[in-house]
Amino acid sequence: MMTPTELYALAPFIWLSVGVIVLMLQIAFSRSLNGACWVTNLTLLVALYSMVGHDPAGIQVTPLMRIDALGLMFCAVIICGSVVTSLLARDYLKQRPAENEEFFLLLLLATLGACVLVCATHVASLLLGLELLGVALYGLIAYPEKGERSLEAAIKYLVLSGAASATLLFGFALLYAATGTMDFAILADKLDTIQVNSNPIIVLTAAAFILSGLAFKLSVAPFHMWTPDVYEGAPAPITGFLATVSKGAVFVVLLRWFIDGQLYEFRGIILGLSAVAIASMLVGNLLALRQDNIKRILAYSSIAQFGYLLVVLIACGTLTESIPLAREAASYYLLAYIITTLGATGLLTLLSSESARERDHIGDIVGLFWRRPLLSLGFTVAMLSLAGIPLTAGFIGKFYIFKIGADAELWALMSAVIVGSGLGIFYYLRLVFNMTKNPRQVHALPQQTSLEGRSVLLLLTLLILALGVYPQPLMDYLSAIL
Amino acid sequence: MLQNTVLIPLLPLLSAVILIATAGRLPKRLVATLGAGSVGLSAILVAQLSIAWLDNPVPYSLHLWTWMSVGDFQPGIAFYVDGLTVVMMSVITGVGFLIHLYSTEFMQDDDDYSRYFTYMNLFVGAMLILVLADNLLLLYLGWEGVGVCSYLLVGFWYKDPANGAAARKAFIVTRIGDTAMALGLFLLFTELRTLEIQQLAAAANLQWEPGGNLPILACALLLGGAVGKSAQLPLHTWLPDAMAGPTPVSALIHAATMVTAGVYLIARTHALFLMAPPVMLAVAIIGVATLLLAAFTALNQTDIKRILAYSTISQIGYMFLALGVGAFSAGIFHLMTHAFFKALLFLAAGAVIHCLHHEHNIFRMGGLRTRLPVVFWSFLIGSAALAALPFTSGWYSKDEILLATWTMPWAGPWLWAGGILGAILTALYSFRLVFIVFWGEAKTEPDRQPEWRMAGPLALLCLLSVVGGFIAQPLDQVFPAHQPEHATGAVAWITMGIAILGVIVAYLIYLSKQWSVEAGLNSPGMSRLREFWYSGWGMDRFYDSLFVSPYKTLARIMRNEPIDQLYNGIVQLSLWLHGWLSDQQSGQLRRYAASMVVGLILLVAVLAGAR
Repeated sequence: MMTPTELYALAPFIWLSVGVIVLMLQIAFSRSLNGACWVTNLTLLVALYSMVGHDPAGIQVTPLMRIDALGLMFCAVIICGSVVTSLLARDYLKQRPAENEEFFLLLLLATLGACVLVCATHVASLLLGLELLGVALYGLIAYPEKGERSLEAAIKYLVLSGAASATLLFGFALLYAATGTMDFAILADKLDTIQVNSNPIIVLTAAAFILSGLAFKLSVAPFHMWTPDVYEGAPAPITGFLATVSKGAVFVVLLRWFIDGQLYEFRGIILGLSAVAIASMLVGNLLALRQDNIKRILAYSSIAQFGYLLVVLIACGTLTESIPLAREAASYYLLAYIITTLGATGLLTLLSSESARERDHIGDIVGLFWRRPLLSLGFTVAMLSLAGIPLTAGFIGKFYIFKIGADAELWALMSAVIVGSGLGIFYYLRLVFNMTKNPRQVHALPQQTSLEGRSVLLLLTLLILALGVYPQPLMDYLSAIL
Repeated sequence: MLQNTVLIPLLPLLSAVILIATAGRLPKRLVATLGAGSVGLSAILVAQLSIAWLDNPVPYSLHLWTWMSVGDFQPGIAFYVDGLTVVMMSVITGVGFLIHLYSTEFMQDDDDYSRYFTYMNLFVGAMLILVLADNLLLLYLGWEGVGVCSYLLVGFWYKDPANGAAARKAFIVTRIGDTAMALGLFLLFTELRTLEIQQLAAAANLQWEPGGNLPILACALLLGGAVGKSAQLPLHTWLPDAMAGPTPVSALIHAATMVTAGVYLIARTHALFLMAPPVMLAVAIIGVATLLLAAFTALNQTDIKRILAYSTISQIGYMFLALGVGAFSAGIFHLMTHAFFKALLFLAAGAVIHCLHHEHNIFRMGGLRTRLPVVFWSFLIGSAALAALPFTSGWYSKDEILLATWTMPWAGPWLWAGGILGAILTALYSFRLVFIVFWGEAKTEPDRQPEWRMAGPLALLCLLSVVGGFIAQPLDQVFPAHQPEHATGAVAWITMGIAILGVIVAYLIYLSKQWSVEAGLNSPGMSRLREFWYSGWGMDRFYDSLFVSPYKTLARIMRNEPIDQLYNGIVQLSLWLHGWLSDQQSGQLRRYAASMVVGLILLVAVLAGAR
């Protein structure tokens, strides 16, 4: 039987579930895009509000979930990401008249899944969250009825994600066979004893399977190949959601599992992760070099970004003292990445909201500076942040990576980070450069996007700059709660 | 009244800012009013200031603000006004205003009227900062400022690549000197912990021994800067090429003001130079060598502006000679009179060029005495002053220099003899110019006459060139009281009359043709010598083969350098890898799944293998 404290701790999840049911009923009785959007946002805001006042020390609710500061913070980030996505999606969907209300239903479900995921402390809750998120995403990716590309993307994602989930499950099964538990905390204790005496090959094989499954969701090399196709085929707002909320939640799970389960003590895991990280940084950046589709560029860029992020985990293996800093760094980097990528895909959504076509080709943004100076400025800031230029949030994140990598003396990884960053500057700035080209071809288009959409983008831009110029408050906050 | 000092450099700078901001959109009349008017107002302010200051001639400084304060290093934006400053400011704004007025007509047909006055005003502002600065850092700001303006104005007609090359040459050659000067400033600051000129003198007296290594090194470095800016040996080669700029620019920057900045610098820091006798001697020797070299070269030139350019180098050589023998007042006196008559000569030459369809070659002129009377009289008076004919302004100043030179211990007579030879040559080449251009048969007909805006400045400068020698300079407190004695007796008489000899020789050769020098000049040895002189003693060729060509060769080699190849290789490698990886993104599900399986197998192998 649950105590009231535990119920209270679960409030955000309960509110999200209530919102899903209310929205479903509402759609059954009256279809209205605006109505659905507002119910969604109301639900998200209520869920956000219900997180206020929780005990930052954390509370274990059933063996499945632990509502602690890290989980709550990323729940909040995920919910905010959903708010941004739903606001931008409304304009986008208005331009594509169809039965669009279920889009928000799926979005709420995916949000719920992601929130469960970041709080999961048990294999069951992990899979529950992952599948809730994944199944909702299949629907979201394929949402535009007429888009052949979307359908293709959704099928690809469905098949490959199914395969990845199966790998994950098999890994957990092996782990269960070796240890007899599915609780992360107990698992950690068992692994400790296993390591010293008996043959851990079964555990390591399990770890390899689990890492592969998660690596697919994080789209790091060589599990990355689906990313560009799916990002390109998905509707623009969902591209942003996929790249930020979905990936971010999976990374938080990995962070928990990796640190709580003390996986960093296995040399093989560190070695395998290093290979994956280096491959991701190089492959992601190299693939983006001459790409002309902006969504694909962002897909490749996200491959590389998660390669950088893995450095933080690897550093825990060689330098155990850096674990608190690693948690702080990973959280900061992830936050900066989410804000920045939401800003970048937000612009694509806004542009695509002005026509029935997806406007994601590099030609679509040529000369944008002369038509939409403010939006272009926001996009430029996002690109600079992804490239890690000072005075943006991305720079502080990169700085953390360098600091941790140098402390742990991971020179091979650091050289890959440097090479990757160098390559990255080329294609990020190429986009900026294209926006400034051809000032003469100025077609002042009527402003069709809503005020909310534009102000959300402006807010994201300001956040990128604020976190880059004055990062200290967030740093202090992170190091205090983690 | 004294607070208005700030306005003096500010007015031209302000006008420059307005002209920059309007970017050539103002009508020409307004540009002319702004450009010349701002300098005119400055000139009026300088006149008021001088009158007020002469009532009570006490040096004062005006501290505006501290630029930055880092430990000992507290350079102020501060002005210092004494007799020397007053003289320099008067020359800069007075002559400057006349040249600006002249320019309003001279540049009338130019499309870039506004740009021209922007640069000119900027120059006047920078030059005023240079002479007003109370510390060497602010002086350096003005010093570099005038350098940039000189560069911009020499290359003013930038569409001709030759002009751009001349501008670059002027900038780079002076830059060599400037670098030496900057090193000198570093040395002064690290040793004496200040850059304020008055404190420097006091600190040097306290800490340094006269004739020691440090003062010699510091002064030699400062001398490097002065030599570059004032076009003295061995950094003089830029000035003749700098004639590519519009003629009023040559008059203002490359004759009257900027090129004398080196003289000003040495005079301003004379307290340091007096502690380094070897450097003083070097200054005098550089002066004599330069004045002779330039005079011989001027004798063989055919371009009217190049003759005047070499004569400028030569006259600044006299100023250096004066400084070197310790006759600082005489040097500044010659600086002032030279500003008058050389500006006059350049403006008159400009009028000739202006009226003769941009003709520069003196052998295609002739007979202009009757056709351009105003210009003729201007040129005659200017040449007389340049040749230092008795009772012209140049005569007074040059005599002072030569008479002071004679009394210098042991080297004096030799330096004097060089100066005297130079004086004969000066008279010879200046009257060669006058006789060829203004007498004889006309070869090109003028198509216009100068109007009042050109004729007026010419007339006023004529007046100054004649009576300029009577202007008393308030320099008594600036320089040490015991300046060199003047020679007397036969030496004095020779000194005073020698120029007449040169004029007579010129008359005999070029006008009455009683002395035929053709045969002698065309003999093989002589013509080779003339060629050598014509090319400026082969200095340009020498520098070309010693510095420019090796540098260019090196640059050519470096253009395809191996290091670049490495970077290109990286680019190629990246592109190749990109292409290869892109081919793997085939869009086929089975290949994607296969990649996952490969990844999984590799991970299992690594994890299980590396335990």
